[in-house]
Amino acid sequence: MNSTATLAQDIKQMMVENLMLQITADEIGDEQALFGPGSLGLDSVDALQLVVALDKKYGLKIPDPDTARQVLQSVKTMTDSVAAHLNPSFSQPNHN
Amino acid sequence: MSLRVVFVTGANGGLGQAIAQAFLAESPDNFIWLAVHSRRERADEMTRKNPDRCRCVPLDVVSRESWQKAVGEILGVHARLDVLVNNAGIHEDALLGTMPVVAWDRVLATNLDSVFHGCQAVLPAMISQHSGRIVNIASLSALLAPAGQTNYAAAKAGVLAFTQSLAKEVARIGITVNAVCPGYIETEALARMDENERKTMQTRVPMRRLGRPEEVAAAVRFLACLEAGYITGSMLKVDGGIL
Repeated sequence: MNSTATLAQDIKQMMVENLMLQITADEIGDEQALFGPGSLGLDSVDALQLVVALDKKYGLKIPDPDTARQVLQSVKTMTDSVAAHLNPSFSQPNHN
Repeated sequence: MSLRVVFVTGANGGLGQAIAQAFLAESPDNFIWLAVHSRRERADEMTRKNPDRCRCVPLDVVSRESWQKAVGEILGVHARLDVLVNNAGIHEDALLGTMPVVAWDRVLATNLDSVFHGCQAVLPAMISQHSGRIVNIASLSALLAPAGQTNYAAAKAGVLAFTQSLAKEVARIGITVNAVCPGYIETEALARMDENERKTMQTRVPMRRLGRPEEVAAAVRFLACLEAGYITGSMLKVDGGIL
């Protein structure tokens, strides 16, 4: 598994644990929408929890609703944002 | 039981002291942070008597930056925050026709804006923990809306609505948000009244006495306790039966 895939899997696991989803991390698609029709079915409270979790786990700050809308579209958009934040040359996330 | 970290604002006042004391008495595992601003002698005395169980932290409740700094200090020590009691408040009574704008601004900022800033400051930690208790001290004035308190009554009514709204937002994360509405309580403000005013006030209370700060603190402690986990968005009156 390359580093992008590892990070994406890590984020999916974080979602399952923090949002108490009744599905496994493997059941979440990388490009599956998080909100809206046909999506994972998350809502604004889930979004708030994701903002806090991304900050705590990766130090990624999401300072305003516009940024949140961009970052929290899918696992892929979150992965890209975290990767860019951690290291422009892309490295493994900091597990702590 | 494990460590519970409690943060009380307005901790130098009579009610804040009683609330802090109630948490100290509740469990040896409670650690109390006493938010202090312009006066701190009583809070300092409490920390001297309980050096391992409470500590003072400077806080200007109307300043967002001050909240971030104070909460950051608490999280830096304990890495968790379990209970926030938004107790700091002021009143500057006047009939609306003669109320200075600053009296409106100060009362709204100290009583209502402070609750907004405080809750925003502690929520990330509580969300991460998937647990937390927020207790906002409102007032019977929010419900009675007496003449001369347009600013105070509006601010405290705002606190009640804020409490109910936030409670719904964070309920499923395991965070409860409740309010306490004290009636006429033996605090510094009432102590300054003359005897006739106090007697008149007491006749309005079905119990024919003023409330003690400890009686309000008991309600706060109850709403913050682990067993009160299914109570959220509630308002608990402590008023001797006035309303």
